[in-house]
Amino acid sequence: MKTLQKLGRRPIVLTAPAFVLLIAVLGIPMVQLLLTSLNAPAFSLSNYQGFFEQTSNVRVLFQTVKISVVTTAICLIIGYPTAYLIVSASKHVRIALIVLVLIPWLTSGLVRTYAWVVILGDHGLINNLLLNLGLISSPVPLIYNRLAVYIGMVHIMLPMMILPLLSVMQGIDTSLLAAARSMGAGPFLAFWRVFLPLSLPGIRSGSLLVFVVCLGFYVTPQALGGLGDAMLSTFIASQVASSFNLAPTAAAAFILLGIALVVLSIFGLDVSGSQGRAARATRKSLPSPLPSFAALTRFLKDLAAPYRAKRWTAQLYSARGDSRLSSIVGAVFVTLVMAYLLFPGLIVVMMSFSGGPALEFPPSSLSLKWYRAFLGDPSWTGAFWNSIQIAVTVAILSTILGTLAAYGFNRTSRRVRSVLTMAILAPITFPAIVVGIATYFGLLKLGLLGTRSGLVLAHSTGAITSVVVIVLATLANFDQRLERAAQSMRAAPIQVFMRVTLPLILPGIIGGAVFAFIGSFDEVIITSLVSGFDMQTLPLKMLENIRQEIDPTIAAVGSLLTLMPLLWLMILYATWWWSKSRLQQLSAKPPA
Amino acid sequence: MNLSLNRRRFIQATSSAVATAALLTRSGAARAQSGEVRVVVVGGDVAKAHAEAIIKPFEAETGIKVTPINQDVSAAQIGMMVAANSVSVDVGILSQTGVLDLARHNYLEKIDYSTYKQNELDAMEEYAKKPFGVAPYMYSWVMAFNTDKFPAGKPQPATWADFWDVVKFPGARTLPTGQDGGGPWEEALLADGVPVDKLYPMDIDRVFASLDKIKPHVRKWWNSGSEVFQIMRDNVADLAHSYDGRMVSLVVEGKPIEVNRNRQKLTLDYYYIPKGSPNAQNAQRYIEFATRADRQAALARLFPVGPSNRNAYKQIPDDAARKLATYPEYMANSYAINAEWYAEIGQDGVSNTQRLVQRWNDWILR
Repeated sequence: MKTLQKLGRRPIVLTAPAFVLLIAVLGIPMVQLLLTSLNAPAFSLSNYQGFFEQTSNVRVLFQTVKISVVTTAICLIIGYPTAYLIVSASKHVRIALIVLVLIPWLTSGLVRTYAWVVILGDHGLINNLLLNLGLISSPVPLIYNRLAVYIGMVHIMLPMMILPLLSVMQGIDTSLLAAARSMGAGPFLAFWRVFLPLSLPGIRSGSLLVFVVCLGFYVTPQALGGLGDAMLSTFIASQVASSFNLAPTAAAAFILLGIALVVLSIFGLDVSGSQGRAARATRKSLPSPLPSFAALTRFLKDLAAPYRAKRWTAQLYSARGDSRLSSIVGAVFVTLVMAYLLFPGLIVVMMSFSGGPALEFPPSSLSLKWYRAFLGDPSWTGAFWNSIQIAVTVAILSTILGTLAAYGFNRTSRRVRSVLTMAILAPITFPAIVVGIATYFGLLKLGLLGTRSGLVLAHSTGAITSVVVIVLATLANFDQRLERAAQSMRAAPIQVFMRVTLPLILPGIIGGAVFAFIGSFDEVIITSLVSGFDMQTLPLKMLENIRQEIDPTIAAVGSLLTLMPLLWLMILYATWWWSKSRLQQLSAKPPA
Repeated sequence: MNLSLNRRRFIQATSSAVATAALLTRSGAARAQSGEVRVVVVGGDVAKAHAEAIIKPFEAETGIKVTPINQDVSAAQIGMMVAANSVSVDVGILSQTGVLDLARHNYLEKIDYSTYKQNELDAMEEYAKKPFGVAPYMYSWVMAFNTDKFPAGKPQPATWADFWDVVKFPGARTLPTGQDGGGPWEEALLADGVPVDKLYPMDIDRVFASLDKIKPHVRKWWNSGSEVFQIMRDNVADLAHSYDGRMVSLVVEGKPIEVNRNRQKLTLDYYYIPKGSPNAQNAQRYIEFATRADRQAALARLFPVGPSNRNAYKQIPDDAARKLATYPEYMANSYAINAEWYAEIGQDGVSNTQRLVQRWNDWILR
């Protein structure tokens, strides 16, 4: 009991298990890589100098940042309204939409990238359609350019933006909006001054997640982009493959990490955010006493507030004529976003029934032969089971460690939190290929290279990060006074956690677990380095297949991957909504 | 009579059964003793061909279990394994440049040629039997073009200068990416008029000046064999610079593709054994087995790679042999990659391969 109380007072201890894992698997080898990049023990900056002396490196660095920023911005512009509309939809529509957002995310990134090749290709779906309609005489170059890179990257990243936004938006009390409206704020102002500030933690964590993952991209730009659309990871990957000297590669990686850190410190050192902070932001935007033009217009607007407030009550009881148009626009928008997210998946499913010898759309004949090829080949089914087992273990391990760590973070002082958050973000801030090399050294030291446990640990580093980011975003909207209220009624710390905190942050935890599972299930670059060639995972097998011969077995696997998780997604969401509705019942009960 | 016959038969039957059982247990014991060997077979059709032509007969002959590694293993990965003293590959296969690099770092076991039969060794090309690697086959970089676009009877691209000539032969091109050090360098020089015997040492400035001319007409710089296969199969490009095997596969499939082997660039992969391989002895046996003439012929029948053992051609029908890079008739118009030049390290401590990669990285962003 005493230790528990101590733990309660020193929440930072909760982050220890996650950090022990991260430091052993990644931290120590990372330090060794840093020393290598500095030519230790002689210590010189020659590798860094060498990097910047090559103009191509500097250019590709800028390009990497630019592509990442644009992708993040597009994701936010599409993702925010989508999340908003999903949250404001009726319960059943909302569940359906969330599932629709999750499905493409569950489809392997490799499969989705190749689906875009089939859609955008010179003789792909779109060009064939236009050619057949006689609208064009020769194929329009839709692929092998920057636009195709953005289409592919945004497609992969969009769910990663929407899910944290959803997680935060669902915690926002909509009666606050009604309150603002009742005090005379227009719908836009109510959104701008109340909803948007409250949703900032979601924007911040979603954007950061998308940005840092984009920095490490390389399969998608390589497959969809043109010659000049290289990202730094492409350079690093080819350096790793062609040179035994890790020092320049390590330097390039640390430069990329440096950029990520700068961005993090400028835009969102505090990934978790907090209600207090959001509230302060709102307060800051109150009219300043200076007699500025802005203040004057605001003053004039405020004069009209009582009138608008009156009208709002009238509107409340009148038929909602004007909102019909906006709901139609919203419905169209959400439909378009969902079509964009799901269309490639559908293509993959349809291609998987092709009877031809290679990937083609539309299939020239129908057959189940690629499913038979998948199920009848023990190397495919074996890889599939390996991946399932590893991903489930990773999800369990990282959800426990990640939730503990996020809980600990949330309760520490902001300065400590920001430093620790930096550290815990490392696995996804580093280009995957460098994390792979560092992990390789780390597992070697632990004697776990090429083992199943080794692979679980390697995947857990990134998975813990996802869990922490998502749970933190949820905790940011969690009112700690609820805990204090429970404590004041003599609930023990563990009781408080199980009965108050856990049910409230459960959606975030489940979201984190889903991300952890998918991250592990889809991981290919790190896996190829640390699997020690003993263990074939499904993505490794798919990559091998894509590199060697594009045969529709990939489409069959992809479509199975798209259709299968629907089942357990339903189960997952059933638990989520069960906990939510139970909570609502609890809160609806009159105080005894 | 009947009975005795039956008894004799019975005895025969039982004794042979006992003998079989004894044999089985002995081979079982042999299998347990001889253990396994882990072999990189890369994947796809190549891996399937390996399984049929080499792995199955090898297991049958030696009782050694072969664990195939269906993955490309880079020289750097092998280097890291050896340096970390945790080698999980017994037999690898890599391009000559990679193997040369590994050998120079002392990361490889020496090949034990003492177990090879003399007639096999004699029939093997000189380039194929190096101290640290044995080349089982050769393949080449060729030009391929779409015969719907350039039909017989009309001008067809014959030389690399033709490939570069976008006025005489308009159409989309596809060439291999240069990001890993190999690339269309030699072809760029040939197109620019450099004679084939003056290619090395390569004039890197001239290479990229020549590439500048073709750059706007390249639809895609491909990254993998499957990619160029897909590109040519779907008519995305009209002319390709590709591995020969992939294009020959398209021809076999009946696609309107012609393979032009004039000035084909020959290159080879070596089997090698990483230093500290846990089953080095089995690895030596595997390589010796895989490079025999009959095994090379069996492999070439399944996958179009040119045998390095001349005797293999005696076992390959002519129509199949014509699909191979080392078919005697093609050799006169071929040249081989100079791997030594690629591995050469300049005064600045940078190898020519790395120099090409740096230059490539700079060039693509211009």
